Amino acid sequence: MSKQELLEQAAQSVVDANRDMAVEVARKAVAEGIDPVEMINDGYSEGMSRVGELFDRGEMFLPELIVASDAMVAAINVLEEAMPVENQSKKLGTVVLGTIEGDVHDIGKGIVATMLRVYGFEVFDLGRDVPIKNFVEKAKEVNASIVGSSALMTTTQVGQKTLEEELKKAGLRDRVRTMVGGAVVTQRWADKIGSDLYAENASEAVMKLKEMFS
Amino acid sequence: MKKYLTRMGDGERIEMTVDEMKRDLELGTQDAANRGKIAPLTQDELDYLLDIFTNPNKIVSVEPGNEVPLTHDIGTLRLMGDQGNSGVGIPLSRVQGIQVHERAFAADTMELGHIDYSFKPVKPVIAMEQQEMENALLSTIVPLFYGAMPNLGLYYAPDGPFGNPSDLLPMGKIQEAREAQEGAVEHATRDMIYICEKLYAVGCDGINFDTTGAAGDTDMKATLHAVEYLKANTDLAIEVGMAGEFVLGMHGGLEYDGVRLAGLYPHQQVKLVEKAGADIFGPVVNTNTSKSMPWNLARAVTFIKACVEAANIPIHVNMGMGVGGSPVFETPPIDSVTRASKAMVEVAKVDGL
Amino acid sequence: MPIAHGMAAGMGGIRTAGDLVARMQMTRKMRLKDAKAYVAEKLKVSPADLSNEHVMREVREELDIGIITSVPGCAKGIEAKARIAELLDIEINSVKRLKNKVRF
Repeated sequence: MSKQELLEQAAQSVVDANRDMAVEVARKAVAEGIDPVEMINDGYSEGMSRVGELFDRGEMFLPELIVASDAMVAAINVLEEAMPVENQSKKLGTVVLGTIEGDVHDIGKGIVATMLRVYGFEVFDLGRDVPIKNFVEKAKEVNASIVGSSALMTTTQVGQKTLEEELKKAGLRDRVRTMVGGAVVTQRWADKIGSDLYAENASEAVMKLKEMFS
Repeated sequence: MKKYLTRMGDGERIEMTVDEMKRDLELGTQDAANRGKIAPLTQDELDYLLDIFTNPNKIVSVEPGNEVPLTHDIGTLRLMGDQGNSGVGIPLSRVQGIQVHERAFAADTMELGHIDYSFKPVKPVIAMEQQEMENALLSTIVPLFYGAMPNLGLYYAPDGPFGNPSDLLPMGKIQEAREAQEGAVEHATRDMIYICEKLYAVGCDGINFDTTGAAGDTDMKATLHAVEYLKANTDLAIEVGMAGEFVLGMHGGLEYDGVRLAGLYPHQQVKLVEKAGADIFGPVVNTNTSKSMPWNLARAVTFIKACVEAANIPIHVNMGMGVGGSPVFETPPIDSVTRASKAMVEVAKVDGL
Repeated sequence: MPIAHGMAAGMGGIRTAGDLVARMQMTRKMRLKDAKAYVAEKLKVSPADLSNEHVMREVREELDIGIITSVPGCAKGIEAKARIAELLDIEINSVKRLKNKVRF
C-alpha cells in the first residue's frame, strides 16, 4: 500500500470514528517504515480537521467527535512506540478556559474545551459564570500558557477586558496568551481589549492555537 | 464609487459599494445553500435584497397589505427584566406589562413568562403563574401565550439530578452522557406537560416553547413529545421556537418519528414540529458577527425561505438580537432590524415574525 | 426592537386586525394568506384593509370587539374576546372557561 493511501486511510479512520481501523493503519505504517510524525500530521490530524468541519456544519455530533478523537489517540499511541523519544508527542499547551461571570452559556465553551483536549492541549475548564479572579488564580496555579474566556452577552463581554487587566496586575500577562470567543465577540473586540487571539468557533480556536504553539 | 451605509453582524457601521454588497449577498446565500443542501436565492431575490440595502432611508418597511402578525417571546421581561433579558428595568407587574404591549405597543399577540424563563423553575410556583395568567386573560384582548424555555441544562448537575454531559463526554463516558440526557428528556417532558396543563386549565390560549434545542437534540426531543401530548389532550395553540439554525448533537442518536434530530436545519425541523402537532414554528438562523449584514441577511433569508416552502403550518421566524439577519448587539440598530423585517416578509414570505 | 419590527412589518394588534389574524394561525394553523382571507370575509373588508387603521377602527367599534384607545362602554378584555370568538367562529379557551363557570 502506498504512503498516500495509508495517509488517506488514516484520515478516513478518524472521520469514520473507527478505532480498530485507525490502529490497524498505524501498525501498517510502522511496518512499512513510514515516518510516524508524517502519519500523525498528514493523516490522523487531517482527519480531525475534516471532523471539525463536519461538526461545524451539523453533520457530525459531540459523541462522534469524542469517538473520533479516541480513534486518533489510539493510533498515535501505536505510532509513538515507533518514534524516537524526542519526537514523541507532547502537550501543546495548558489552557484555562471559562465563561465570564454573569454568563451561564456553557455549551460552546464546552465544545472548545473538548476539541482542545482532543488536539493535545491540557485543559482546565472552569465552567460557566466564572469570577475573573478564578481565571487568574487558576492560570497562576497551573502555569497556564493560554487563558480563554467566552461571553455570549454584551453585558458579560466587558469581563474579558477586565480579565486582561487583572492578568496584567497579577504579573501574568507576559507569560500567557489570551483567547476570546462567544457569539457577541469579534476580532475587532479582541484587538480593542488587547487579546492575542479571537476564534469564531471551536475548530478555528483549535486551528489558531495549534498554529500559535507549534 | 458610491458607498452605502450598512452594518457588520455585530452592529458596527460600515460602508460598502454595490459590487461588494452583491458579492456578500451571493456568498451568504451560497453558504446557506451548501450547509442546508437547499436552493440558493434567485437573481431576482438577490436584486430585491440589494434594493433593500441600497435604500437611502434609515428605516424601511413592507409594502402596505404585506404586514404580518408578530408573536413576542421573552414576555414582559423586556420591560421589567435586567439587561440579561434585554430588559429595561421598569418596575411593572407582569399583567401591566402585557397591557402595555397590547395597548401601547399594539402587539398582535403577547406572552406571559416567568422571570427565569425556563419551564423547570415554574413547577414549584405554578399556582402563581396560573393566577397571573387568569388576571391577564380577564383584562386583555390579544391572544396570550405562556412562554418558557425547555432548557434541559437545568436537569444536569449541578442544577439537576443527572450527570452533566459536558463533564461526562470529555472523559469519554459517552454511554453515561447519553443515559443522563435520556433521563433528562423524560423529566423535562413530564414537567412541561404538567405546567402547560395547569395553564390550560385557567384558559391560556397557547404555549410558546422558546429556544428549543438550546441544550441540543435532547431539548428538541422533550419538546416534541410534550407538544404531541398537549395537542392530543388540550386545545392549546402551540408555537415551537428554535435556539439555533441546526440542532446540536449533544446526544447524537435521538430520534423523533424515525428521524435523527441532530443536525436538522429549519426546513427539516419544521416537518417534525408539524408531525408533533404544533400550530406555529419559529425557525432561527444565527448571525455571524464577523460578516456583513448583506451576507448575514441573504444567508438567513435562504434558510427561512426553504423552511416556509417546506411548511404546512405558519412560520414565525425568530428576529431577535443576533438571529434572523439582525445584528448581535444589545440595542440592535433600527436600520438593520427593519431591513431584516422587510426581507423576511417579502422575500422569504414568512407568515409572521 | 419588537417595536421596530412592528413598525416595519407588523399588522398593528388591536389598532387593526393583527390579533384576529394571529388567532386564526393559532387555532386553525392557517398560513398568512388564508388567515387574512378568512378574517377579511368575517369582517366584510378586503385583506389589505386588515392592517388599515382607518378602516379597522370603525369596523372594530361597530362590531364591538375592542379598540386600542380607552373608550367608556366599548368591550374590553374578556368581553371583547367573547365577541371575537363568536365573530370568527372559533373557541377561545378563556371565554369557554368563563361561559362554563357563569352557567352555574
